[in-house]
Amino acid sequence: MFGEFQIHEPATVTEAVDMLAHYGDGATVYAGGTELLLIMKEGLVNYPHLVNIKTIPNLNNIALENENKRLRIGALVTHRQLEQGTLIRERFPLLSEAAAQVGNLRVRITGTIGGNVCFAEPHSDPATLLLACGASMELSGKNGIRTVPAEDFFVDLLHTAKEEDEILLAINVPTQWVGAAGAYMRFCIHERPTATVAVILQLKDGLIETARIALGGVGPTPLRISMAEEILRGERPSRELSAAAASCAHEATDAVDDIYGSVEYKGHLAQVLTDRALARAIERTGGDASVH
Amino acid sequence: MTATRILGRNAPRVDGYVKVTGKAEFAGDLVVPGMLHGKVLRSHLPHARIVRVTANAAENLPGVVAVLTGNDLLDLKNWRYGHAIKDRPIIAVDRVRFVGEPVAAVAAETAHIAYEALGLIEVEYEDLPVVGNLDASLTVGALQLHDMGSLRAGLFHGLGEFKVGPGNVCYHHAFDRGDIGAVFSDADIVVEGDYTFPAVYQYAMEPHTVIAEHGGDHIIVRASCQHPFLVRAELADLFEVPTANVRVIVPYLGGGFGSKSYTKMEPLAVALARKAGRPVRMANRVDEAMVTTRRHNMKCWMRTAASDKGVLLAREVRIWLDTGAYADNGPRVVATAADAAPGPYRWQAVKVDAWGLYTNTAPAGSYRAFGATHLAWIGESQVDEIARRAQLDRVQIRVDNLLRPGEEVRPGGKPLDADLVSDIRIIAGHLDWDSPKSPDTGRGLGVSLLAAGAHPVSSAIVRLEADGSATLLMSSTEMGQGVRTVFSQLVAQELAMEVEKVTVPGADTQKTPYDRSTGASRSTTLGGTAVQRAAQDVRRQLQVATSEIWGVAPETIELREGAVRHADKVLRYSDLFLRYFGLAGGEFIGQGRVQPVDEGRGSYAAGPVFWEVCIGGAEVSMDRDTGRIRVNKLVSVADVGQAINPHLVEAQEMGGAMQGLGNALFEEMLYENGQLLNSTLLDYHVPSINDLPDRFVSSISENEDGPGPYGIKGVGEGALAGVPPAIVNAVADLGIAMYELPLTSERIWRAMQRDSA
Amino acid sequence: MLVSTKADLIALRATINGELVKADVEPRETLLDFLRDRLGLKGAKRSCDVQVCGACTVLLDGEPVSACCTLAYEVCNRRVTTIEGLSHNGKLHPIQRAFLDSVAVQCGFCTSGMVLTVKSLLEEHPQPTTAQIKTYLHGNLCRCTGYWNIITAVKQAAQLMDGGRDTLP
Repeated sequence: MFGEFQIHEPATVTEAVDMLAHYGDGATVYAGGTELLLIMKEGLVNYPHLVNIKTIPNLNNIALENENKRLRIGALVTHRQLEQGTLIRERFPLLSEAAAQVGNLRVRITGTIGGNVCFAEPHSDPATLLLACGASMELSGKNGIRTVPAEDFFVDLLHTAKEEDEILLAINVPTQWVGAAGAYMRFCIHERPTATVAVILQLKDGLIETARIALGGVGPTPLRISMAEEILRGERPSRELSAAAASCAHEATDAVDDIYGSVEYKGHLAQVLTDRALARAIERTGGDASVH
Repeated sequence: MTATRILGRNAPRVDGYVKVTGKAEFAGDLVVPGMLHGKVLRSHLPHARIVRVTANAAENLPGVVAVLTGNDLLDLKNWRYGHAIKDRPIIAVDRVRFVGEPVAAVAAETAHIAYEALGLIEVEYEDLPVVGNLDASLTVGALQLHDMGSLRAGLFHGLGEFKVGPGNVCYHHAFDRGDIGAVFSDADIVVEGDYTFPAVYQYAMEPHTVIAEHGGDHIIVRASCQHPFLVRAELADLFEVPTANVRVIVPYLGGGFGSKSYTKMEPLAVALARKAGRPVRMANRVDEAMVTTRRHNMKCWMRTAASDKGVLLAREVRIWLDTGAYADNGPRVVATAADAAPGPYRWQAVKVDAWGLYTNTAPAGSYRAFGATHLAWIGESQVDEIARRAQLDRVQIRVDNLLRPGEEVRPGGKPLDADLVSDIRIIAGHLDWDSPKSPDTGRGLGVSLLAAGAHPVSSAIVRLEADGSATLLMSSTEMGQGVRTVFSQLVAQELAMEVEKVTVPGADTQKTPYDRSTGASRSTTLGGTAVQRAAQDVRRQLQVATSEIWGVAPETIELREGAVRHADKVLRYSDLFLRYFGLAGGEFIGQGRVQPVDEGRGSYAAGPVFWEVCIGGAEVSMDRDTGRIRVNKLVSVADVGQAINPHLVEAQEMGGAMQGLGNALFEEMLYENGQLLNSTLLDYHVPSINDLPDRFVSSISENEDGPGPYGIKGVGEGALAGVPPAIVNAVADLGIAMYELPLTSERIWRAMQRDSA
Repeated sequence: MLVSTKADLIALRATINGELVKADVEPRETLLDFLRDRLGLKGAKRSCDVQVCGACTVLLDGEPVSACCTLAYEVCNRRVTTIEGLSHNGKLHPIQRAFLDSVAVQCGFCTSGMVLTVKSLLEEHPQPTTAQIKTYLHGNLCRCTGYWNIITAVKQAAQLMDGGRDTLP
């Protein structure tokens, strides 16, 4: 059950930031509430002040900027909007695919991408893909606006680089990556995914020019598998190559034994999912999947 | 007698309209004037002595009317309850024995105030060693969780001599026949293994809810309970109020599946209401419901002997069931598991030992198809293995060894009353058993028997009204299975009237007559017999009344289409009333009852009322990289004697099969040293629509071989118990032998690693 | 002093099943409690509390939400539809009719949420495939029916509604 709290309705980002700064750890950002309200109900946290950022205009836009080089996703964009939005579905289908996996229909309708990444639950979907796509988080706080790349944003289990007085404004994703060929896969046992993998690939003249691979659920934060990426870079896709890259994934996990699985199994899943995601990504580049 | 007009008809649910419009009332929808909100403070320790409970701050919180602790029970002659063993305190008095055990309860004007008050109660504990699992409980010299000498049999023990111990044993059930040692030593084939079965949560979507009032000399309880009369007896006994002054009212149940059987939250709610002096409503959250009752987890050792021609010879089984901190229905689960262990086969020798053990985990009780679900997958996997070694088809080995109708299942008990060979052939047919299959798919099937019917005491009253409508008073509780609909059909059948003219109010011990329980698939058979007799009683009265009017013998009067008839004379019921009573009023009231008639008077040993057939088949494929099982096809047969409402039978099969699938593939309560790690649906996977197999095929076998009206047997549990063996055997068909449920992808993967090593 | 703070009670205005409702609500009051305890609309049920089971589903501006995890505050100036708002003058909505005809109701506890979610589904996909039905209803658990008859009911409802939008609000 909830303890008592007040709901504040900032009209601007500045007001919201001021409220957060004023109330300190007694306040938190409230958007869709799909994670926040659960932990409040269970008595795991206590916030007498909720700063409802849904009253601030223009935080739920999706726009192409900077000569279409950047996709800017407002923090209040819901998973459902990403799943169904025409621009996303047509130009950035990977993002739509990943968003479609989140929770269930009701969670997608109410939950926001900003809330999801700020909660930083390792067993979630969008973060893995955003990391693979080189996303960066645009934050606004008392000290102004700053941008934090995803790999620095996810600090630890349920912990991000966002300060107490900051709100996430938007997630900026280079279209070069989020629009590239790729694959998103997950393995799910409970309500949240056990393991997730996102692969982005660019081929040139039949060789892998860029590979970006991220894993989720097998460590306290999503992880880029740079060793796997290095193995792939400059090489021609092949079954052996993918297998080698996938076994890096196994080595790179930083998992613990828990109800989602043992360390060994999670490592194994990471390998299997990476292998399969690579195959599908290669296929989508128009590359010859039969070699795989 | 073949199916007649009303039987075999798919009459629409009589409660369908109210349920589909949101009007159906469940316990949590009820409001009683002056009602307070109750919340429970539960132990966070698995085993501890309670040193002190300090509740002053909570009591003084504005809006709090009462705080209940163990001290408030000390004026009762006995503050422990339990239908089998009186081992469970209404609220913890000196000791807590599981995480989640109620330690204090608050009644307040609002739920928020009650919740806040919980936070103000201080409990000082002294840790005790934790007996967290079966191994710990079985260890010689293990700490005893109960003072065994002080335990007494519950009001409804029903299992012969009451005996607890040694150690943490709450019940032991054993039987044997033949010379087990000799048969095994001579056998060509012996299959042996150790097996593990998980704790599973029933997840009825409506958690336990009670509104209790204690008025000094009377008690009224509105509760989500399956067995109102057993609850009534327990409350009368605990609070020393005459039985007739205890009223238990049961609205619609949002699922039961055994989780609301016997007595759960009612005594606590009544005790709190007693202290508060006002009605109190208590509703469990799901995480509270999970630790109120669960399915027993189990370890089992089994070996089966056979000849090299696949003749089954002997089976020896040892079973250890974890009943948690309190027995609940543990003893009966132990007995039923023991009965299910041999399987429906002809044996030269059988030896079964089954124990129920106390541990510091949530109490385990009834869950649909207990016993059979626990054991069938084990015995049936050994039969399959024997078939493989004897190079026999797995259907053929069953056809060769299955008991036939009339053969003894267990000594002194009811002989087999089902055609299992026919059923297994139907399952094989649904699976296209003989058709070629790809190497990536596995096929499996399994069959077992469940001792069904519980104790056969039920009664019913039918009141025929002057306008030709009827009220049926009976106390089977409606939890979705459609009992009110099926019984309406029975009444309509006997009284030649339309189903829509029969009204069935809910169970209310003050108004509806005694029914022992709703569970163990007993309602249609036992409650149905009582209903049929009550309706037949009215029928006879109508015949007698008409015979007085027409001057003909009563037995020559026919009832058809809402009228009494003789030759060319016809009287609609309403006209009969006018003639007979002299006004558009009066009633014909009929009663019917069923009670044990044989020697043993309904004892467990003389039963069961009928053997429920638990049978299923599956075709699976597997992702060999991840170990994930995909169920392509599930098949089932409902062997019900006769189906009064085939759609409702099929509905029970489909629902039961999905519960069985969950139990087989992913449902598991994860305990670590007495702490439950997954107490919400975020971490406990209940089957969703996405978990459906690609295809489900079920059929109904109607051989009219049951004890109920028109040869009816019960239904509801067989499909669930039929699924785990089918899936385990299908996975074995893929070359992977499994000894532990659920078949999570990780376990399958590990088994593949084990096999390739 | 900060602007736009909400004091202890919030003056709520919302349209519930087509009717304007005004009430004072606490910030922490859930939509589920508001509907059930304040308005007596008890069709939405409390079950899992964590947005997994769907028993508390209501429609907010036509879209399914978990009332147990939605603050009553959120429905200010918005439209809420509960199961009670589906049938009119005793006449069942085609989805309700289909659930009865297809034997898709047993204990009934999941039914309110399930039916409302189906309403939303059929508005988006008037002739849904089995795959679409499964994706949409993934978040609505049923422990009794085993789901097959629910799938049948959805398809039957789609036929009854014949691809056209129903005329109810």
